[in-house]
Amino acid sequence: MATWPRTEDPILARLARLAASLRTRGDQVLVLVVLLALWQGLSLVFGTYWVGSPWGVLMRLGKGVMSGEILRHASYTLLEAAAGFLIGALPAAALPFALRRLPIVTAILDPFMVGGYGAPKLALAPLFILWFGIGIESKIALVAITVFFIVYFSALAGVRALDPRLVQMAQVMGADERDVARHIVFPGAVPHIFTGFRIAMPYSIGGAVIAELISANRGLGYLVQLSAMNFDTTGVFVALVATTCIVFLGNWSVNVIERRLLRWRPRPDLDMQAGS
Amino acid sequence: MAAEALLEVRSLSKRFGNRAGREPSPWVIQELSFVVNEGEFLTIVGPSGSGKTTLLNILAQIDTASGGEICLQSHAAPIGNSKSLKPGLACKIGYVTQEDNLLPWRTTLQNVLFPLTVQRRLNEDTRARAQMLIRAVGLAGFENHYPHELSGGMRKRASLIRTLVYDPPIILMDEPFGALDAQTRAQLQEDLLRLWNLGRKTIVFVTHDIVEAIALGDRTLVLSRSPARVAGEHRNSIPRPRDIRGIMIHPEFAPLYQRIRVQVQ
Repeated sequence: MATWPRTEDPILARLARLAASLRTRGDQVLVLVVLLALWQGLSLVFGTYWVGSPWGVLMRLGKGVMSGEILRHASYTLLEAAAGFLIGALPAAALPFALRRLPIVTAILDPFMVGGYGAPKLALAPLFILWFGIGIESKIALVAITVFFIVYFSALAGVRALDPRLVQMAQVMGADERDVARHIVFPGAVPHIFTGFRIAMPYSIGGAVIAELISANRGLGYLVQLSAMNFDTTGVFVALVATTCIVFLGNWSVNVIERRLLRWRPRPDLDMQAGS
Repeated sequence: MAAEALLEVRSLSKRFGNRAGREPSPWVIQELSFVVNEGEFLTIVGPSGSGKTTLLNILAQIDTASGGEICLQSHAAPIGNSKSLKPGLACKIGYVTQEDNLLPWRTTLQNVLFPLTVQRRLNEDTRARAQMLIRAVGLAGFENHYPHELSGGMRKRASLIRTLVYDPPIILMDEPFGALDAQTRAQLQEDLLRLWNLGRKTIVFVTHDIVEAIALGDRTLVLSRSPARVAGEHRNSIPRPRDIRGIMIHPEFAPLYQRIRVQVQ
């Protein structure tokens, strides 16, 4: 990465930062163009029957968005992913805090958690469909269980990364158990929890799409399946592009929330050290 | 002035728990006794590894002792087992550790207000006191900076006034200026003496630097190499206010330094 001269003038510094980010953006556009060219090349070689052309996909996507069809399917998938994410991630983030003072219970749970983490959750989709039907419940269940273990282990790592010296310092200053949990354990674990959120987020959308692939009558996964059955590769690509857009949206939301909550952390891309 | 004993340490001993099947671990502190008087600035010097930090941890009630007694304001402190320890003895003992231990997710001001927050003592007066201390150590303008945005000396100052802000009757300091460069160190020593002059708190200041011990203290204890015992006690009559940077040319400095040096091994 290019290093910019450190300037005292805030306007110049801001301009330098802007220039750096613009340059990154420019490079990203370049990579996108290369990828699109590859895609176009493939569709020329194999024909649009097998690989829908980027332009065709874009037109179909535009049409689908205009008619509201894509949005209807996408919002359904998004709803499943978001509900499953909340149901899975919030208890997973809270559990290590509850277990902090119970190391024996944590140890007892450990092998089961590791098993749950390692098991291929997507293989549970047929089972959940049997149990909860082909409606939204089975998708939410699959997303929730996928997200749960990822976030649990991240939050656990955060609780364990606690610096005992900070706790001692707080206790000497008169902090009770609740103060320690609230002012030290929790803020210290937040970065780890967000790492978990960031990893789990694409899995939540992926989980919803896979469950829809297997059995559904709505959603982007259903759209993929329907298009494939009609030998409509362009339709498959449209659904995949829409899914990717949702992942971007999710990632962006995690970033925004994280940046707000973690203002106290040194930003690796900026030199904010006040010279020590 | 009839000095009143604020803190009494009697026959304090400490060895760390031995693991099953091993020989008992050696004594870190043995039969250590001393008294800290009200309003006194006591400095303790000892070689590295002489159990100075362990001693302060025991006094601050974050570590247990294996034997002996500690009395604060004539009340015996529970030191025997780790369950009954009361870190800080209900905010009566302040402790400035070697590391600044600032909370990285709190700004300078929030860090300084932290003890008041957990003690539920946050009000107009205590906030004003925090602001006064922030100005006194030159941190004005950095109230809303996070610790990683401060220099080492600034972090040290913040950690120092974080303990001063809630005004515990006795403050323990464990080589607080150890990791700083000479210039910053001298400045912080001056700041500390100035703050001490305002309130005349009782301070127990541990260091391995004899010059620092003389520059700051009313009285200096020398600890022996482990197990730690009191190897010597030296009254320091260099008048206050002292010139920290020029302390070495004071006529009383050299003989005092010499007497302490021969005991520090």
